[in-house]
Amino acid sequence: MSSRSTNDTGNEASTIDDCLAIGSIVNSNSHMDYTVEIFNETDRDRPPEPHECGFGQPVFIHKTIDGTEYIIMGVIYDTQLVDPDQGRSGPRLAQGDQPQFTPGYVEERTTLAGVVLLGTAEVAGDGTVNSPSQEMPRWTLAVDDVVKQCPDRIIRSFHIGPDDGLQIAYIERLLDVAGPLGAEVTLSIVERLRELFPEDPNQRVLDVVEKDVRWQSSVDRGVMR
Amino acid sequence: MSSLGSETSTEDGGKELIGTVAGPGDDPNEFVVVTPDDQAVKTGEFISYTVPVDGTGREVIARVTNREQARGLPETFMADPNVAPEAVASTLGVPTDDIDLYRLEATVIGFYDTGMQTFSNPRQLPSPGTRLWTAPNEMLEAILPNLGVDEQEATDANGSVDLSRINVEEREGLAHMGWLLNREANAVDVHIPIDEFAATHLAILASTGSGKSYTAGVLMEEMMMPDSRASLLVFDPHGEYSSLSEMRGNGIFASDDYHPEVEYFTPENLRIRISELNVGDVMSILDNPSDRMQERLDSGWRAMQRRESRTWGIDDLLEEMRDQYGDDDSSVGALEWRLRRSIQRNDLFTTDVNVPLDDLVAPGRCTVLQMDTLGRRDQQMIATVLLRRLYQARLAAVRGRGDEEGYDGEIIEQPLFALFEEGHRFAPSTGEAPSLEIMRTVTSEGRKFGFGLGIISQRPSKIDQDVLSQCGTQVTMQIQNPTDQDAIKNSVEAAGEEVLRELPGLTPGQAVVSGDAMNTPVLIQVRERHTTHGAGSIPATSQWKQAHEQRNEQPGRTESADMGGGESTGEEDLL
Repeated sequence: MSSRSTNDTGNEASTIDDCLAIGSIVNSNSHMDYTVEIFNETDRDRPPEPHECGFGQPVFIHKTIDGTEYIIMGVIYDTQLVDPDQGRSGPRLAQGDQPQFTPGYVEERTTLAGVVLLGTAEVAGDGTVNSPSQEMPRWTLAVDDVVKQCPDRIIRSFHIGPDDGLQIAYIERLLDVAGPLGAEVTLSIVERLRELFPEDPNQRVLDVVEKDVRWQSSVDRGVMR
Repeated sequence: MSSLGSETSTEDGGKELIGTVAGPGDDPNEFVVVTPDDQAVKTGEFISYTVPVDGTGREVIARVTNREQARGLPETFMADPNVAPEAVASTLGVPTDDIDLYRLEATVIGFYDTGMQTFSNPRQLPSPGTRLWTAPNEMLEAILPNLGVDEQEATDANGSVDLSRINVEEREGLAHMGWLLNREANAVDVHIPIDEFAATHLAILASTGSGKSYTAGVLMEEMMMPDSRASLLVFDPHGEYSSLSEMRGNGIFASDDYHPEVEYFTPENLRIRISELNVGDVMSILDNPSDRMQERLDSGWRAMQRRESRTWGIDDLLEEMRDQYGDDDSSVGALEWRLRRSIQRNDLFTTDVNVPLDDLVAPGRCTVLQMDTLGRRDQQMIATVLLRRLYQARLAAVRGRGDEEGYDGEIIEQPLFALFEEGHRFAPSTGEAPSLEIMRTVTSEGRKFGFGLGIISQRPSKIDQDVLSQCGTQVTMQIQNPTDQDAIKNSVEAAGEEVLRELPGLTPGQAVVSGDAMNTPVLIQVRERHTTHGAGSIPATSQWKQAHEQRNEQPGRTESADMGGGESTGEEDLL
């Protein structure tokens, strides 16, 4: 993807805790669909760059449940900008050559991201993930849970199936929850997986999946039938 | 409905749980069954279910007529032939085990009614949810062919009717043709009653190379077994049945008091006595006789037939006609030339020699008339005369004429079965064969006199429809020609649409058996012959090679061609 950078910090993080935090959960639309407020300068010393929390960015939430450490995988499928001043702009008190007059509370403008959950994986003591499950997670997340940018090695581990082959079993759920943007977000994941699974059989399977998703979305939009 | 897992899915005798009735089908006798793939029920398979008829549970047989996939992996998973759809499914987490469901269409045949000794349709379809089994092997063996199993035979010690207890092998007079195609080899052996097809005639129809002669050979072997000892006459225009002589020394065909005889007749000992011909036969072999000539010949021939002597010839006939019409009658003169050319100079016709019918046919004897050196017209003449004599001899035997005073005709006491290879030669649909009339007579009336005909042909459309439609039992093999398929559809009553649909897909050795000998048409694999097959294809390339090598070895054939005069051989100039 053009928005991806190969040397961003998130992808080079050696442990899960070192991964770049990109936001925190503020709301949920369903068991699978959460709204994340992206951190800004006031929240973190190192807020995420736009390309680190863009559309199609895989993310995870690190949680301990019943004594077992898990990561809950997700993907950003939607973003929204929120500006409290919208609709409140009236006659300006400031002149053109003077600084704009603003009330005392600043930086209320936020970026919200929609995150669909994809599955879970256990975190081992050495920071690697194993036992990936692409089933729907049984637990709910909490407000203020920190959402982190997912490094490539975790994305790869998460997509290895029980028979050591590539697995994308969440695809139908993703397409369903993400609605009109489902096909696009799926294709962005497929593109990421192409780089992570360069072996020929996997590439061919990804070709078939990509064609299927493209064809289905074209049919849904009425472009083809 | 109880769960499938609560009972074993397989029982003894090939009875296997295959699926569940989903609902009625398009036709009144059709219903739809849903089955998982691993059961692999093939088209044509016989399945059974139980319904109460008049208070008794009856095991109804139905035939699977169509099969389509009801559920399976989406076609988009097959976008790349290099990627197995299962690989895509596995990646996407779609389960692939037991995902396929098949929808079978089945047609009710009926339950076997021991009173009527055939199938009876219960006129009710199985209700949705009814479980279906493959019909047990032993039961199919007992009820598919028309064996006439009655209630007494089918009732076991407890007084309940059990068709699976009938042991077909113990019965006599059955021809083991092969086994049901849908089951394993010899799982369901198909034995057809020889009496049925020997009485109501037989047709073996298939395109060339599909195994017609092979199948006929199998039937002939069965008819010559010790429990049948048939009186068999084979009209063999291609000399394909020379290997039947192997039956003589083969222990399979022998018993303590019986060894089958196999006799071969060649044109040398297949003479036709001129007095055996009737005037119609003669007309058919003369070159365009005029009306006046026909009238002269008719009159003269009748006069000759009224004579005591049976050893008259063409000279006697001409003399008779001259007596009637005068020495200088031009029509008699024209007839003389034609008669001498067609009859007198043909070695086939004699004034005195006549093959005695007793030499020709006898119980336990298979007689093969090898006519491969004869022309078509002569083959037809032999068939005409022999069939007529045999028919009259059988008629006389059945009518008891042998006891009548003054009867000097021939009598054959035992029933006969005559098999015609290339049947369309002897009963052509064009009507241009002297043998057609007697073949029509035998097929329409022979049953009453114990005279059966078997017709083998690769061109059903070229056989006379009257003759073909009288063949009560049909063995139909691969036929792709649409005209021939239509001929079968039009003339063979028992061949339903579903049977005709099978014809193009059969491979050599597979056949549909239908008609009087069967209670329902079945698809069979013809069994191996005990004797060698005499009509296999000739391996052209190996024989060409062999012949070429032999030709090269012969001296004097390898000289270089003379390409012209001079010192040059000519070849050099060309190079």
